[in-house]
This record gives sequence, C-alpha cells and structure tokens, in this order.
Amino acid sequence: MKQRISETLEFRGEIGNCRICCGKCGHALAPAGTSWKPLAVLSVVQVGQLPGASSAVHPGVVFRQFCCPGCGALLDCETALPDDPFLDDIVAAPTGSK
Amino acid sequence: MDPITFSIIRHRLFRVVEEAVITLKHVSGSAITNEGHDLMVSLYRADGSLLMGGVGFLHHLTSAAEACKAIIRRFEGNINEGDVYLLNDPYTAALHTSDIYLIAPIHHEGVRVAWSACFVHVYDIGAMNPGGFAPDAADIFSEGFSSPGLKLVDRYELRQDIWDTLLNMVRSPEMVALDLRSMIACNNVARERFLALIGKYGVETVDGACRTLIEQSEMLLRQRLRELPDGRWQSRQYLDVKGEISKVVLTMTKEDDRLIFDFTGSSPQSRHSLNCTRWASLGGLFAPLFPLLCYDITWNEGVIRPITMIAPEGSIVNCTRPAPVSVATVGAIQSVNNAACSTIGKMLAASEKYADEVTAVWHANHFAIFMFGRNQKGGDAIGILTETFAGAGGARSFGDGVDIGGEIPNPISRMANVETMEASFPIRYLFRRRMKDSGGPGRFRGGTGGELAIVPHDSPDGGLHYVISGKGSAFPMSDGISGGMAGALNDYVWVHAPGETHNADRFAQSLETVPGEKQPISWGVYPLQGEDALYVRWNGGGGLGDPLEREPDAVLRDLREGTVSEAAGSEIYGVVVQSGAVDALATERRRREMRAARLAVAAQ
Repeated sequence: MKQRISETLEFRGEIGNCRICCGKCGHALAPAGTSWKPLAVLSVVQVGQLPGASSAVHPGVVFRQFCCPGCGALLDCETALPDDPFLDDIVAAPTGSK
Repeated sequence: MDPITFSIIRHRLFRVVEEAVITLKHVSGSAITNEGHDLMVSLYRADGSLLMGGVGFLHHLTSAAEACKAIIRRFEGNINEGDVYLLNDPYTAALHTSDIYLIAPIHHEGVRVAWSACFVHVYDIGAMNPGGFAPDAADIFSEGFSSPGLKLVDRYELRQDIWDTLLNMVRSPEMVALDLRSMIACNNVARERFLALIGKYGVETVDGACRTLIEQSEMLLRQRLRELPDGRWQSRQYLDVKGEISKVVLTMTKEDDRLIFDFTGSSPQSRHSLNCTRWASLGGLFAPLFPLLCYDITWNEGVIRPITMIAPEGSIVNCTRPAPVSVATVGAIQSVNNAACSTIGKMLAASEKYADEVTAVWHANHFAIFMFGRNQKGGDAIGILTETFAGAGGARSFGDGVDIGGEIPNPISRMANVETMEASFPIRYLFRRRMKDSGGPGRFRGGTGGELAIVPHDSPDGGLHYVISGKGSAFPMSDGISGGMAGALNDYVWVHAPGETHNADRFAQSLETVPGEKQPISWGVYPLQGEDALYVRWNGGGGLGDPLEREPDAVLRDLREGTVSEAAGSEIYGVVVQSGAVDALATERRRREMRAARLAVAAQ
C-alpha cells in the first residue's frame, strides 16, 4: 500500500509494518510513526547568504534542508537556530480504516 | 424548520454583518479602517457565544465572544435595550488596548436575543506613543486607556461624562470620536437588521435557526477532522527585539474529531510589548483555522468546540498582567497565526482528499509603523503605513502564491493608494513595488512582498516622526512547506544624511541609490526629517515543494518580470538561461549536480 504523508513523503508497505518513504524514489527512511528526519541527509544553508537576505538577518539562522538519501529530492525545509531540535511531525501509521 | 427558510436566515445573518461592516467603513475616517480594513463585525448569541463571524481580522471573533461574556458577568441585571458597552482590556478579552470593542445587546420585546460586536484600531488610545503601538512600554500602564468594561450608551443615550473622559485621554480626539461613532452606527445597523429578520420570521424561528447553525458547524467540522489523518505536527517562530530572541513553539495534535494546539515550550513572557494574552492566542490560532478548515462552514461557536488550546501561563503566548502587549497583534499573536497556519497546512498535506488545499504560510511579518506630526495643512496627523496590510500569498498545492496577495487572518486586508498616503501625510514615495527574491522558493513560489521608500515632503516642521514596531528582519517567518523555503525577511532602514542636500538624488529608485548613512532599525521612535528617508520591505509568502522541481519556464517568467534575480534563478532554482531562453539540457545537468551536491553532504 501507499499512503500520503506530505507532498514529498508517503507510507509504503503492509498495514502494521509500513515505512516512511521518499515519494519520488521510494527510498525507505524510517518505520511508520517514528521520526524520519535524523535518517535524511541534512544540508544547512545560511539564510544570510541567500538572495533576498535583509540588512539585519540574524547571523545564526539557517534553513535545514532534509533530503532523500536515495535521490537527493528535497523532502522538507525548516528555519532554525543551531541548538534547536528538529521539528518533529508524525502522521499516525495507517490502520486501513481511513 | 424547512431547509429553505433555514438557508435564507443563514444568508440574512451574513448580510446583517456585511451591511454593518459597510456602515462602519462609511462613518469611520481613518485610513487604517477604510483602507487597511483593520476591523471586524460579528454577531453573538444572547449568552455571548459566537453566532456569525464576519470578515476583517479573524482573531477577534473569539476574543469578542469573550468580551460579550465579560460584559454579561459585569453588568447582568442592568443590561438594557439600547445600551452599548466598551471593552479594550487585553487581560479581559481584547488583543491590545488600541483595538476597542463596542458591544451592543439586541433586545426583542424586552428580552435579550443576541449581541453585535465590532472593533476598529482607534486613531489613538493615549499610550506613550501616538497610534497605540508602544514598543518601549515597560508595562500595560504605559499603553493607554484600558477598560475591562464600561457602559458608553445607556438606553440609547450617550453617557457624555464617559465620552468626554475617554476623549480627554487621547490625541486627536475628533478622530477617535469618529471611530467610536462609526462603531455605534455599525451596532445600530446590526441591531435594526437583526430585528427586521425577527420581524419577518418570528423570534422562535430565528432562534431555532441560530441554534441549528451552531450545531451544524460543530458537526461539519468534526466530520472534516475525522476525514483527516491523525498525527502531530510542529511549528516554530522566532521573534527578535533588540537582540533578545523569543520563540513561539506549537505542537498541534489531531485525534479523531479533535484538534489540540499546545504552545508548551514557548518562551517566557518578554519585557518587550510583543507578548499576548490567552484570549489573544486563542483568537490567533482560530484566524487561520476558520478559512483553512471551515471555508464552507459558518464561523461560530460550533467550530470552537472541537478545539483545545494549551498556553502556559507566564509565557509569551499567555502573559500575566501587567506585561506590555501593545505590539501583540504584529508580535506574538501573528506568530501564533503563522504557527497554526503551518501545522494546519501540514495536516492537509497528509490527506489524499485535502491535498489540493495545502498552503504555505502567508504574509507572516506585519510591521506597525505609525507616523505622527503636523501634516502639510497644519493639522495633526497620526496614521499607519498601510502597506503592512498588503501581504503576500503563500504557495498553494496548485500554484504560486499571489504577489502582494493579502493574508489569511484578514480576508479583506489591503493597502491604501500612494496618493492617499501622500495627501494625508507630508511625505513623498520614492517607489513602491514588488520585491525581488522575496517569495519563498519552491516548486510553487511564494507570492512576493513589496518594498517602498518615503521622504519628507511639504512639511511645515521639516518632516515628522514615526513609531516602528517591526519584527521579521532577523528571522524569516513565512514558513514554506514540503521542502519549500520561507519567504524573505522584512527590512527597515533609516537613511540619514544630516546637513547634506542631494537634490539630484531625491528621486532615487533603489535603497542603494538613496544618499546617506543606512542604519537598520526595527523598534522605537525615529525621525523622518530633512534629508532622511525610510526604506521598508516586507516578506513574501512561503514556498511549496523542491525549488529544483519548479518548471524552468516559470523561473524564466519570474526573471523577466523581475520577481526573481539571476542569482536565485541559478543558485536556488538551478535554471540556466542563455540568450533569453531556458537551456533545457544545461538546466537538467545543473539540477542533477545540485541534487548530487546535497547527497555529497552525507558522504563528508
């Protein structure tokens, strides 16, 4: 089965034993119901170095880009300061009832 | 009740609100109301619960319900036909002191059957700074007049002593009087039209329809929530004031037919006035919830019932008296808006059925810049730069965000014409336009924000001053979604060249060519005098999806229209343009290399 998690992620596998996968290449990232971001490839981009930065941009603020280890697709992006934890989004594992 | 009668009554109730809004705008004389649409009108049940939410700033719908209930608690037994009550205390129900609620009971044959409530951001409230935003206030006592509830009109008679006292505490009392009169007129129209509805259908039929409307809204929202997947989604917003960083942290949990918004982890309340109270946070999370989850459901008490909010006391989203809150509407409240918009967007993205209704965060960085001084006619002038209401659309799952496309919490927000501002204040615009590279990159791009620069012009005093409460220049806040990046930051630059004249450059068309020393600012009172200029730019909306998947022709169009720079086109979107056309092979190669570079990080 396949079931959507976001624009870029989906559940794949059997009910009760499915995994969070890249929606583009199907690379399995993590078991359903767990955090997948630590298993993605993380690249960090300084906001201040991007086109459109302001004159007062905080020197520490970054975009964390979480990419698929299989195909390099960008799966998610979040704004963060270095010491802050990953935003942890968890969609309940499919049960087949919804 | 037959469904046709029910439907007619539902639409008539909405029209009651619409007509009251029109009245409010016709009577009010301030740009923030007429041009910016910083207003709200809604109807409430006899017990104060929300019956029919109207347009305007939606975070007021639930707060005004609490205001009605506060008035009932305070005045029960002495609430009469023809009364009008005023409430603007943030620790009772309001968002900040400048947003005054005027609340009027609607009686039918001596029995209270409903309330109408409205607000405008009044011209002035007597705070330490003109216009009501007091960025340097240490507590609420410096933020102007504040009432937990008073009777302004008693059985159709204006209480002159109260009226005179109010107007004695504010700047430009004639304009504040006009604001108050506009709200009285608005409530009068709402009452007359509501009673006309009862006159046609009878009080029991109308009451039954109102009760059913609330039950229907609750049923429909719960049904929609059951269609969405269970889960937990998080969002985080950073606010920077004078180098002090605060965070609004949200975990939204969806279980069956309930939604829980938990702000645990948010920063302690700040000594700066960007805090908000509990009622303001509740309104803040409902502002995106109404249009994103309930666009086809009547906005009333039924929508509120499935929602729970957890906001730790003493935090930036539930501050305790006397913490200052005058900047709340563009501070913590808007960050609550943004965080809720982000988590709701993620929840929709997890649903097959609602996947085409996903949005990134829209215009996340309001800025309050209130100019004050004498205008070119010699009169006093206080007013906001209404560009803060111009906004920027977030990217949607079906297309780009709308450039300068408004905002979710206020479906009717807009900015004034340049000419309106120049006629009201002794200023001249050097330019006002879309801002390049402000839309968050993504497969679908966030809508652009804008930029402007103003200089003094034809002022009897050589210029004027302004109060700025500007966040969003240190941290991007219009979050993207599913790989889309956040919209660009705000920027506020004071350009000053004391004692110099550069007449040849008084028509500069970019910040770089405005002569003088450029100083980033965001908080406090600054001059716009002599050779000064003020440059402001506001954020774009968040993007959606991987920028490397954006159609190359769409990037080329952006380049031609000036909404994306060549640097961004190449470095973020990976598009190679040769002789004015997309080089498809080179673009494909470049994008492949950029994806490989992402993976190379893992190999290091």
